[in-house]
Amino acid sequence: MKLSSMNYLFKQGMKNIWTNRIMSVASFCILAVSLLLIGFTMLFVANINRFVSGIENKNEVVIFLKDDVDESTASAMENTIKNINNVEKVNFYSKEQALEDMKKGMENENADELFSYVGEENPLPDAFRIRIANIEEISPTLMEINRLEGIDSIKSPTDFINILTGLKRFIGIVSLVILLALILVSFVIISNAARASVDIRKREIAIMKLVGATNTFIKVPFFVEGMFIGILAGLASAAITCLGYNELVKVLSQDMTLWSIMSINGFIPVSEFIWKIFIGYAAAGMIISAFGTVMSTRKYLKV
Amino acid sequence: MVELKNVSVTYSNGVDALHDVSLRINDGEFAFVVGESGAGKSTLIKLLLKEITPTSGRITVNGFNLEKLKKNKAHKLRRTIGFVFQDFKLINTMNVYDNVAFVLRSIDAPVKYIRNRVPYVISLVGLKDKAKCYPNELSGGEQQRVALARALVNDPQLIIADEPTGNLDPKTSLEIVELLKGINECGTTVMMVTHEHELVRHFGGRTITIKEGRITFDDYIG
Repeated sequence: MKLSSMNYLFKQGMKNIWTNRIMSVASFCILAVSLLLIGFTMLFVANINRFVSGIENKNEVVIFLKDDVDESTASAMENTIKNINNVEKVNFYSKEQALEDMKKGMENENADELFSYVGEENPLPDAFRIRIANIEEISPTLMEINRLEGIDSIKSPTDFINILTGLKRFIGIVSLVILLALILVSFVIISNAARASVDIRKREIAIMKLVGATNTFIKVPFFVEGMFIGILAGLASAAITCLGYNELVKVLSQDMTLWSIMSINGFIPVSEFIWKIFIGYAAAGMIISAFGTVMSTRKYLKV
Repeated sequence: MVELKNVSVTYSNGVDALHDVSLRINDGEFAFVVGESGAGKSTLIKLLLKEITPTSGRITVNGFNLEKLKKNKAHKLRRTIGFVFQDFKLINTMNVYDNVAFVLRSIDAPVKYIRNRVPYVISLVGLKDKAKCYPNELSGGEQQRVALARALVNDPQLIIADEPTGNLDPKTSLEIVELLKGINECGTTVMMVTHEHELVRHFGGRTITIKEGRITFDDYIG
């Protein structure tokens, strides 16, 4: 196809947007709303995942050592634990440090008086504070640690972690189902809108076929039209998503107490995804709309 | 040149639209095809456009063997034919110029050629001043002239006119047929389908009558 023909077909596609403006606006709105729904669901899921990951990152297993473990044995144990798979970080937490922290934590409750009863002897044990890499694999890791000599006891939030892992899986599955359903529904609605838009021009398509136009020649303006409407709808819904999300985060962040209790540090900031949203929405809008429109012309091209 | 050899068409509902039709229209001829509604005229046109395939028989149009021509190559055949329909079949969202130019654009004709050819053809059918008008701003006769200009613009070997005067008053009908006659005198084969016997008698020439799917008369009158 010649460049001049491509130029004509491109202009024709753009002209068709205005000529069929009612259907163009309808397609634009349907596409924008669908993208908004999908986008907000994805952001919701991303935030939930971030919260769960945040809680996961606070996981800490504390290994209390027996009183008779000396410094060199503790150092050897530390090296051994470091080499265990799934152990991300190991910190030695001495009994002196533990006592100091305890005193600091009880400053307002007449700690000095209380600790005077303890006397010179520190009743607290030495310990290792361990961070687990993959929380879902915590049980085998703990079993391996437990085999070491010199361990008195292990304190780990296994039950909590199990609940968390289950919750994460549940959220993952539910959000995937919701997303797939939304995508499917959007696709059906969008293709119906595209079909309706093409349907009112079936006579036009039939005439073009009769005067000898090739299928490609007929399809290109529809493709251009769909592509342009898709990009516009994508950009508009990206803008609404970013603005809406930003406002929502502002409102929800006014009182962070509740989130702090839930170990939530904050929501994903808009700046972290703004370009991804704009590019992703525009690309998704363009692809869905352009191909949806062109696919809808197929039925009428069989003349 | 149009040639049908023992062509029959039976639709899926069992209706025999055409029965063993053989016909030949030579290059440069003008032929009227007449018949009542349901006689098989529309089926004949659909066959020539390769909109449908015959149940049996062979069809050749402008050198294309329609039996061998694939559906997705039908545009090659259609580019050698100019069509004029009773309902004009103009694209309402395009003005007169663009309706006519569309045919040339769809075959990748050079822009310069389009710019020269389209105004020339529009002036041939007497619509020089209406090039910027949209179909709904024109009378029935004017719309049919646009359809004629569109049929002519690609310099086709054959023009098929399907009831071109069906929606026109008698005076305009005569003008349209005169235009078709003029086109034929320049060497283009014209096949005009009509049920207006008055018109056929007025102009005379080769007349093919179809009745109940069969050719019952094929001769020159007047």
